[in-house]
Amino acid sequence: MPNKEKGYLSLVLHAHLPFIRHPEYEDFLEEDWFFEAMCETYIPLLDVYERLTAEGTDFRVTMSITPPLCNMMADDLLRERFRRYYSLRLELAEKEVVRTRNTKFYEVAKMYETKFRRIRELYEDYYHGKVLEGFKKFQDMGKLEIITCGATHGFLPLELRKEAVHAQIKLAADDYRKHFGRGPRGIWLAECAYNPGDDVFLKAQGIRYFFLETHGIIYGSPRPRYGVYAPVYCPSGVAAFGRDMESAQQVWSAETGYPGDHRYREFYRDLGYDLEYDYVKPYLHQDGVRRNIGMKYCKITGKVGLDEKAAYNPAEAREMAASHAGNFMFNRERQIEHLNHFLGKKPIVVSMYDAELYGHWWYEGTDFLEFLFKKIHHDQKTVKMVTPSEYLGLHPDNQVVQPSMSTWGDKGYNEVWLNGTNDWMYRHLHKQVERMVEMANKFPSAEGILLRALNQCAREVVLGMSSDWAFLMTVGTAKNYSTKRFVAHTHRFNGLYEQIMGNRVEEGYLKDIEWRDNIFPGLNYRVFSTEETEKAARS
Amino acid sequence: MTSSGQIQKNNTTPEAEHKELPAGYGTTEAALLPRDPNWMFIYWEITENSLKNLRRDHGDDVLKKGRQVIRVFDVSGAADGEQGEKYFDIPVMLEAKSWYVNVQEGGRAYCCEVGLAMPDGSFIGLVKTNTVKLPGGRVSDVTDEKWMAVTADFDKLLQLSGVEYIGKGSGEVAKSLAQRWEMLRAVFSRASSWGVSSMSSQALQKPGQQKPFWLVADCELILYGATEPDAFVTVSGRRVNLNPDGTFSMRFALPDGVVDMPVKALSKDETDSREIDIKVTRATNTDAK
Repeated sequence: MPNKEKGYLSLVLHAHLPFIRHPEYEDFLEEDWFFEAMCETYIPLLDVYERLTAEGTDFRVTMSITPPLCNMMADDLLRERFRRYYSLRLELAEKEVVRTRNTKFYEVAKMYETKFRRIRELYEDYYHGKVLEGFKKFQDMGKLEIITCGATHGFLPLELRKEAVHAQIKLAADDYRKHFGRGPRGIWLAECAYNPGDDVFLKAQGIRYFFLETHGIIYGSPRPRYGVYAPVYCPSGVAAFGRDMESAQQVWSAETGYPGDHRYREFYRDLGYDLEYDYVKPYLHQDGVRRNIGMKYCKITGKVGLDEKAAYNPAEAREMAASHAGNFMFNRERQIEHLNHFLGKKPIVVSMYDAELYGHWWYEGTDFLEFLFKKIHHDQKTVKMVTPSEYLGLHPDNQVVQPSMSTWGDKGYNEVWLNGTNDWMYRHLHKQVERMVEMANKFPSAEGILLRALNQCAREVVLGMSSDWAFLMTVGTAKNYSTKRFVAHTHRFNGLYEQIMGNRVEEGYLKDIEWRDNIFPGLNYRVFSTEETEKAARS
Repeated sequence: MTSSGQIQKNNTTPEAEHKELPAGYGTTEAALLPRDPNWMFIYWEITENSLKNLRRDHGDDVLKKGRQVIRVFDVSGAADGEQGEKYFDIPVMLEAKSWYVNVQEGGRAYCCEVGLAMPDGSFIGLVKTNTVKLPGGRVSDVTDEKWMAVTADFDKLLQLSGVEYIGKGSGEVAKSLAQRWEMLRAVFSRASSWGVSSMSSQALQKPGQQKPFWLVADCELILYGATEPDAFVTVSGRRVNLNPDGTFSMRFALPDGVVDMPVKALSKDETDSREIDIKVTRATNTDAK
């Protein structure tokens, strides 16, 4: 029966990590962020999609895979290092199954062995080391819609030059085409940071929609007739979907959010600290310092000390994830029925999350999603899952509203990325953009070593623009690393700039930087030219 | 997860990663950035050459005679053909090089000019910023005919849309990948500190509605300075983290009374030191109405 549903649910997962790749070190701590997310979120999500497809459960999900993440997933060095990462864990898990026999930790040890074997199977046998192929497969089936993001997750409202905005969007769209064989239909603006007018640069790349935090829509002008429960068209014609806070809070609330349940896995009891030192040492970094290795045997248990945590029970936790998925679905059904009645039209509820919440932060989160997809497919008819593209195809008639400047950060605007911990960056960043534009305009068709130097300058600028550096300085975690990264890209840019303007580019210097920062192999520096930017703005 | 790996391959050229960032770029220029409906950030550079020209044109004592200010222009009207200049001045030192600018009205367009307000009422501009249009931070007054909703319905719609959560911060900060629920709780409860200059512009609350007319006012203290980027700096005996260019700034609550703030810098090789002692006195008198 067509048209039975009362409204739509669009689940959006934002998958992103900054580009972290250090060929100059054999072993580099921050590269673990990527490997952990691969093991706990990205590959487990593919596993969920594989299983649902195999058993005939239809589902819809929208996922950003940001250009830095795509570039890391496709990088030979990181692929090799990821093999080393999961292989070591599998080796330890296999030993652990023997060691924990007849103890209360046997079930959870078995769980890790199964998990890492499955990771190996998916990574090697299914995708041959190319996980992007996996995601592309589900996109081609129409179940997953992959969207892009600014080239390096650049924070656009704090850019002074439109050339920088254009470069972030154009490089992203080109990179997407390379990996997925068609242009992106949607984009996740980094941090949901929207600056009125920037949407013309999305339009120029054929991008039809993006996402906003609730007040980006609510504070738009004129007043949005349906609040966040229908998209609006910016004056450029690009659609903006607003975030539903009710479903966001249900997962995220510190008091009532699902991930705090006492049956779920405890993050802070990690084998890296719990195991006998000589036994665990081969699985630590080369410096031999105890750190988390991602294998944890305890559940949250309750408000007890870390040494009083009980053994994790995988079956019990999985049951809880199923129950939470049921609760989430029930609430969406009631919400959508109510909205349908109130609005007099089928609402779209857009639930947006960081992808890494599922699996990495909330270990059972990927189970939760799997149960949610199944329950929505089999157990109800009120809610239909759609991608934003599908929705716009079904409901092309939407109100024209100019959305408000907004972000999804604390306090809703730009403060997380502009405060006393990081405001010193911007004068350097803006200077680099200005110089990059100056060079792109000055050299309309460079060749040879000049071309390479200009392209590398463009890579350094965009790497410095990554919103992650300012964010990490604000929250104070990895502050040294993020500061170092920003400073390093600034120096590399300034060094090359001086050589280019002095007409004395040193091959050795350039080659070293190319080897370190190899993001966007096919990039062309002309993306920063004023001419190209103006052309895009007019299109 | 803080430091980076230590084992370096031998075949790489060590890079001067610890070089300092340039203190300036040799150009007199300024930029203005939007932070939220009530705050903007301005940074500027004024070269020695610009100052030399200033002294040449206006006399050697011009910096002493004039008040160093940021002149904040409301330029929203300019586009609508409004007449007359709307502006206000914020006293600063030119050496501050950056500042947070508070404006009462969101949703308007501003630009700033750093310069000198002279005793005769004239203004000598040194450097001007770009224009920034701030978000309004509230529901628009504009409705459109085709998509009209009655007001009561719109209020309900706002509630349904989660208007109460606006600006309450997203758990998405969790992607720092380094801490977990502790940090999320801190963020949700707004207990986390975003560093200096992070006071919410809503910090001053209107008192209960029983009084027809009201006034609240308070005052804070911003201390800033600069030294060699590798120096060891303390303020009132507490260590201060320097920005990579050697600058530092702090924002303090300022209670009534005398606040003594000795600022000490020790060079990296511990052979040289400098000290500046700042004393601030505050006295607040409130009429008894």
